[in-house]
Amino acid sequence: MSPARRLADRLDADGLNLLRAIARRGGIARRLEDGAERAVLRSIVEATVALFDAEASSIALFDPARSQLVFEVAAGEQGQGVIGLAIAPDQGIAGYVFTTGQPLALSEVERDARFGRGAAEATGYVPRSIIAVPLIDEQGSLGVLEVLDKRSSAAFSLRDIELASVFARQATVAIRASRVERDIATLLQGTLASLGGSDDPAGAATVQRIVELATADLDGDDEGRLWTIVDRVARLRQADPGELELLAEILEVVAHRAERRSSQRRRSGRARGVE
Amino acid sequence: MSDSDLPAWSEPFVGERRTGLLRSRPLGDLDRATVFGGTDGAGVTVAIIDSGVERDHPDVGGQLVRSVVIEFGDDDEPTVRPDPEAIDVVGHGTACAGIIHGLAPAAELISVRVLGPDNKGKGQIFAAGLEWAISQGATVANLSLSSRSEAMFPIFHDLADRAYFANCLLVSAANNVPGASYPSLFAAVVSVAAHDVGDPWTWFYNPAPPVEFGAYGVDVEVAWKGGGHVVATGNSFAAPHVAGLAALIRSRYPQATPFEVKTILAATANQPA
Repeated sequence: MSPARRLADRLDADGLNLLRAIARRGGIARRLEDGAERAVLRSIVEATVALFDAEASSIALFDPARSQLVFEVAAGEQGQGVIGLAIAPDQGIAGYVFTTGQPLALSEVERDARFGRGAAEATGYVPRSIIAVPLIDEQGSLGVLEVLDKRSSAAFSLRDIELASVFARQATVAIRASRVERDIATLLQGTLASLGGSDDPAGAATVQRIVELATADLDGDDEGRLWTIVDRVARLRQADPGELELLAEILEVVAHRAERRSSQRRRSGRARGVE
Repeated sequence: MSDSDLPAWSEPFVGERRTGLLRSRPLGDLDRATVFGGTDGAGVTVAIIDSGVERDHPDVGGQLVRSVVIEFGDDDEPTVRPDPEAIDVVGHGTACAGIIHGLAPAAELISVRVLGPDNKGKGQIFAAGLEWAISQGATVANLSLSSRSEAMFPIFHDLADRAYFANCLLVSAANNVPGASYPSLFAAVVSVAAHDVGDPWTWFYNPAPPVEFGAYGVDVEVAWKGGGHVVATGNSFAAPHVAGLAALIRSRYPQATPFEVKTILAATANQPA
């Protein structure tokens, strides 16, 4: 019997239901937060461009699967060309800042022909000055925030580095918050390790197997309907306050109706039991 | 005060705020001409733990005597590999080398390249690079980088002690991001933030640690990859200024220990006007 199966067998029905509930919530959060994370990051680069009056601002996040820094969002007139660009984490200014955690500002980079050539090939834009600050916290580096070309000045100051670092901090907090929701495996690993009471070196694989066992039925037909609703709710992020209020009212009516139906079922069940 | 409330480290060294550094020095002022007059860094080896150093860059002056790369070997342990090409994958290490060479032209430079191709275990790579530099008898090690990993705290702490007892002075750029970073916040390390006076020979001592020194780090014209130059701002350009000064002090006083070098740096620092 596999360790995963053994541990799953040790969980009682309540434990298994709890796992399913957590996994279901994790799945919902993942669907909802994917878009939310990007929306927050986009609003951060938009605010950065506005504050610095810059030509562009962008955020690159480290993708562990590809071992590359990938530019996810950008704002500003000269920003769009960079989206989707992937670079090695030990290359270039973004790579240096990501790896070392040291913020940098460079100016007069256009004097250096290589800078211009590389940037133009990759993004279609040659900056005069760049500021790059790490998206970093106690748990490690997530990526880099870059600002290109302040219109009012040829260079960035120390104060600019500090300001950009504040925006980077916001982005880091936003990403961590959504990843905490999403990183259901980490949570489950901790819980199951304490339930199992062992320091199984293959813990991660075991946990993954248990989650698979516990959630094997989640994508069945029943759940398919739930995911449709979740995805529609996710799309409503663009809705205005009036529309959201309307949605809340509709949901309230539906929920009320569901409650009534369920309590009617309970009453008739009890009545049958008496008979 | 919680970690997240920690101030931006450059703040005490910039503009009006500098007047807060004014103090009466316990040992009085040391004459700079006595300490630095006629010194050129001869006899001193400075390790640059960074992105590599371009050996042929004119600002390095042919002083790069050795170049290695730290990377994970087949056994998943950090290993040291010679780098006969002596390249810089970013430009940053060459910038640091150029600054140090500008102040201490006769000092020999060693490049320890520690930027790996992935994010995994980079703290271990930094630590292995530092350990190697200490074992090679470097007099001064310039670290314009740090690790925020709690797991690396005891390892860097041990290395900072070993460097101290091996008479290798660690000069580390302060990290401007809130929160702890190692080894820049250790007492045995010379921690440096940037000031905005455009002069490599201006440095300030801050009696309120953890960041004790402010050096030139704003709009510094630095060497960069491919034989070029850029204008750069950041604490990581301030640290090599102090590393260069430390090289000069060790050149003048070869027996000086890390705390003596630090004392001399403080006693020769500029008093804010």
